[in-house]
Amino acid sequence: MGSASGKISGSVMVVGAGIAGMQASLDLANSDYYVHLVDKLPTIGGMMARLDKTFPTNDCAM
Amino acid sequence: MISPKLVEVGRHLNINIITNSEIKTVEGEPGNFTVTLSNHPRYIDPVKCTGCGECAKHCPVTAVNRYNKGLDDRRATFIEYPQAVPLAFGIDTDTCIGCGLCENVCIARAIQYDETERESRVTVGSIILAPGSMGYDPSKLDFWGYGKYANVLTSEEFERILSASGPYFGHLSRPLDREEPKKIAWIQCVGSRDTNRCGNGYCSSVCCMYAIKEAMIAKEHAHGELDCAIFNMDIRSFGKDYEKYYLRAKDKDGVRFLKARIHTITEIPETGDLQVWYIDETGQRQDEIFSMVVLSVGLQIPENVADVARNLGVELNKYRFVETGPFTPVETSRPGIFTCGVFQGPKDIPSSVTEASAAACLAGADLAVSRGMDTPTVQVTEQQDVSGESPRIGVFVCNCGINIGGIVDVPAVQNYSATLPNVVYTDQNLFTCSQDTQDKIKEKIIEHKLNRVVVASCSPKTHEQMFMETLEACGLNRYLFEMANIRNQNSWIHSKTPAIATQKAKDLVRMAVARASTLRPLAEKVISVNKQALVIGGGVAGMNAALGLAKQAFRVFLLEKETELGGLSRKLHHTIEGGDIQAYLKQLVADVRKNELIDVVTGARVTNFSGYKGNFKTDVVAGPANTKLTIEHGVIIVATGANEYIPTEYLYGQDPRVVTQLQLGDRLEEIGVSDLSTVVMIQCVGSRNSTNENCSRICCQNAIKNALIIKKADPAIQVYILYRDIRTYGLMEDYYTEARNLGVIFIRFDETNPPEVKSTPEGLIVSVTDHILRMPLEIQTELLALSAGVTAADTGSLCGIMKFNRNPEGFFIEAHVKLRPVDMPGDGIFLCGTAHAPKLISETIAQAQAAASRATTFLSKSEIKLSAITAKVDTEHCVKCLTCVRSCPFGVPVFNTEKQIIEIDEATCHGCGVCAAICPRRTIQLSFYEDDQLNCKIDALLAGGM
Amino acid sequence: MRLDYPANVKIIRVPCTGKVDVLHLMRAIQRGADGVYVVGCLEGSCHYKEGNLRARERVMHVQQLLQEIGLEGDRVRMYNLSSGEGPTFAAYAREMTEHIKALGPNPLKKWATA
Repeated sequence: MGSASGKISGSVMVVGAGIAGMQASLDLANSDYYVHLVDKLPTIGGMMARLDKTFPTNDCAM
Repeated sequence: MISPKLVEVGRHLNINIITNSEIKTVEGEPGNFTVTLSNHPRYIDPVKCTGCGECAKHCPVTAVNRYNKGLDDRRATFIEYPQAVPLAFGIDTDTCIGCGLCENVCIARAIQYDETERESRVTVGSIILAPGSMGYDPSKLDFWGYGKYANVLTSEEFERILSASGPYFGHLSRPLDREEPKKIAWIQCVGSRDTNRCGNGYCSSVCCMYAIKEAMIAKEHAHGELDCAIFNMDIRSFGKDYEKYYLRAKDKDGVRFLKARIHTITEIPETGDLQVWYIDETGQRQDEIFSMVVLSVGLQIPENVADVARNLGVELNKYRFVETGPFTPVETSRPGIFTCGVFQGPKDIPSSVTEASAAACLAGADLAVSRGMDTPTVQVTEQQDVSGESPRIGVFVCNCGINIGGIVDVPAVQNYSATLPNVVYTDQNLFTCSQDTQDKIKEKIIEHKLNRVVVASCSPKTHEQMFMETLEACGLNRYLFEMANIRNQNSWIHSKTPAIATQKAKDLVRMAVARASTLRPLAEKVISVNKQALVIGGGVAGMNAALGLAKQAFRVFLLEKETELGGLSRKLHHTIEGGDIQAYLKQLVADVRKNELIDVVTGARVTNFSGYKGNFKTDVVAGPANTKLTIEHGVIIVATGANEYIPTEYLYGQDPRVVTQLQLGDRLEEIGVSDLSTVVMIQCVGSRNSTNENCSRICCQNAIKNALIIKKADPAIQVYILYRDIRTYGLMEDYYTEARNLGVIFIRFDETNPPEVKSTPEGLIVSVTDHILRMPLEIQTELLALSAGVTAADTGSLCGIMKFNRNPEGFFIEAHVKLRPVDMPGDGIFLCGTAHAPKLISETIAQAQAAASRATTFLSKSEIKLSAITAKVDTEHCVKCLTCVRSCPFGVPVFNTEKQIIEIDEATCHGCGVCAAICPRRTIQLSFYEDDQLNCKIDALLAGGM
Repeated sequence: MRLDYPANVKIIRVPCTGKVDVLHLMRAIQRGADGVYVVGCLEGSCHYKEGNLRARERVMHVQQLLQEIGLEGDRVRMYNLSSGEGPTFAAYAREMTEHIKALGPNPLKKWATA
């Protein structure tokens, strides 16, 4: 380990707050890393929040 | 499904949500990047905004509602949907006329018209790119009629139409006349598998499944008969249990599936119906009339997203997906930058979630030395003992700006609450959730020695945790708190009848106060976590999981039942992309063997198992000498793999000229193709049949991979692939196209009329009925390769000991199909590779890294706080009837034969309360929901003379 | 979503409808509630696997008990919906209210002790 400066950050940036970005953020945050979760929309949730039901269980997406 | 995750992300102390922002540049190197962001103005301060919605209520400007895909309107001041996180409005300046009304009505003073575009810098060690995709825009191709005919919709729009929160409130209607359609057509592969018209040669992987879903749900919503037809080239239901879903739609729900290519769609002007012109499988021109047409649009990476990635030096492929390697599925070309989700390649939700965890594994592994350096530490206040005190309740009634106060007579509710038993203090606040109110609540708790708190405001779903933290911060147990939802369940829905709303608010407060009096402090048990991991299975999945954990500095015991590591991959040669599997495996085994944190135990067999999350204990017998060892570990990763199906069909085992695809792969590697002139392959052998309904996912690409090797070695060799549906999902579609271009002959057969094979001295004779020619064909060949499916490894004895659940096919069952595809139902137990379901080596690696990430969320903590909401047995009065043992959906209550009592383990209890409700002697109580704590609410409600 | 539904509906939160006991339902009727209904997740998608199925059984049991003592069993009902179906929730609230209004007041109300 160790960059040239020897300083390793304990933070991660996740770009995109859909279900993938959210899951990556939660895993990292729950593993004691600090996460900056960036999205270009005013709201997190991405495409999944725009679905009605999901296959193959027909559970509600929201 | 997603909304609890939204809340969790929104409330997580280690997550900083930055909305309305885009990444501009990344400088520095892995471990120490400086990221520059452009922060676009929102014009409403999300910290001050309480989400009350007054601004939108008064906004005079109508704008197109992007959330509902433009099918209805919203205001220029808006929030995308009610569950949005952050729960803050924004102003759409494209439509805002700057009238200032919202600023006037905003009591929280959150409107900031003068906000400008900013730039900000953040230092991070790793970056994960997960920008996702957009649906393909079909208006570019006019023959679909999209944008021209009102009743031609995209699948994204139809999704909103089906939604109860959508433009038509879930009523199945078509846009033109809001009539309920009688016949709907879905057109597949719009913007996918189409190099000629849109340039997207790839398969979007999800459209077949979502079209099936939309058809099934539409049928459910319809009031009369609804005819649903899905026009497709192949149905690609390749995921776990997806084939069963397809069969259900086809055979039970009567959804029609037509193999066809659409020529044009025209509108019948008088009715708004649509005439679909298509070419059927036999080449005949056909047409059919539908009331509505849904275009199943593919997933596409927008050009501006691609530009951002290119600016960062991340290489993309020709379709703008991130270029990743078969053995490095979430790594981009720039070290320290990872990717997941659809930006990596078209995929469904479970695969996106899996890859997201994989990306988190690698992003975190590089920073393991600095774990915990940037996260805030939470101050723990010592709790005061209130158990001996009689209840002293404080009631805080919220105005929520004018959301509650504008309808409910808040002072009257406050005065009323002061008259209720045990209430010693009451107050009202403009916004009870604001930071200064939290400080005020803390002050009042101390000043008035409050030992119970009731907040009458909004939903506990969004705000309970926050208020509980406020209690905790001044030494009061968090479970001494109760909410009365006088906004969402009252002022918002009875806004036209203020007197009734005020009365109901009083009723709800009376109920909450009654319950508060019965609340007791609850202790959240803390258990320690053993920081070692056990990985079962030493194939590609198990080894990657072990390495992922070792990189995060955790010790791993890797069990392999054979004497050698590698599992099924020892029999594989190349991936379809050309990746050398044996070279990869050699390196992987070497990395595992030399890693000091990984103990490899070969010839291993599990003999005993006990414990719970954070504290498992497994006995293992290993090696030729049957050495016994006991391993204590905090987590388990199951990676027991799968095998190639051993066919009983098509003379396999009877004629040496009949081989499986794996055997063909060996042959091509060892003796090449020089002695071959014809090769026939049959798909779906041991899959998609009555004994194994599922698709084995990998066989189509396997057949095409071998066919390409043969054709590239000698184009003169005739290669026939007899198939039912070709399922080269995602970017693998290009190889299918290439195989057709190189002259591989694909012949589709019907499941009910499979090929037949005869053995003759001159060669094998394969007969099949060609679907296009509609006549039987006979092919003579010297080699027949069967695409044998994937069967689960025999894990019967392991499951007997460790109590893991498997599906009827023998694959392990995940905790949640969509959102927890790597977790097993038991906490602290994770799953990866083909033990979960058939999958490619790249998908296996991603899931293994994901399992390591999921396990790290446990191992990175020294202790786990358990929920206090668990069932407790009064063993003195329990008659040991075992009803609870039989009823618990998770098998938690057990009868301790030694102590002769029923025991419910707090660490494994899910807190659903089924046992408490079913116990005939009422000797089980669910904490926080004890019988008295519910009954008092019933009594208090009805005491008001309902 | 701010959908209007009758104010005579008041909600008591439980972790899962599997926690709803025959005694809770009976108590409400005994204390004078005109109707009680249990709203659970859609069948097959219970977060705790099968709590809503148990709730349905208990509701049916209570319906039978009420009939045995000469009350309308239908004063107690079970509904299922998913968390994203606000409009359906409101529709059920209206349906139940209309239904109870048609049945008239709970005859036990005059003896209700509370």
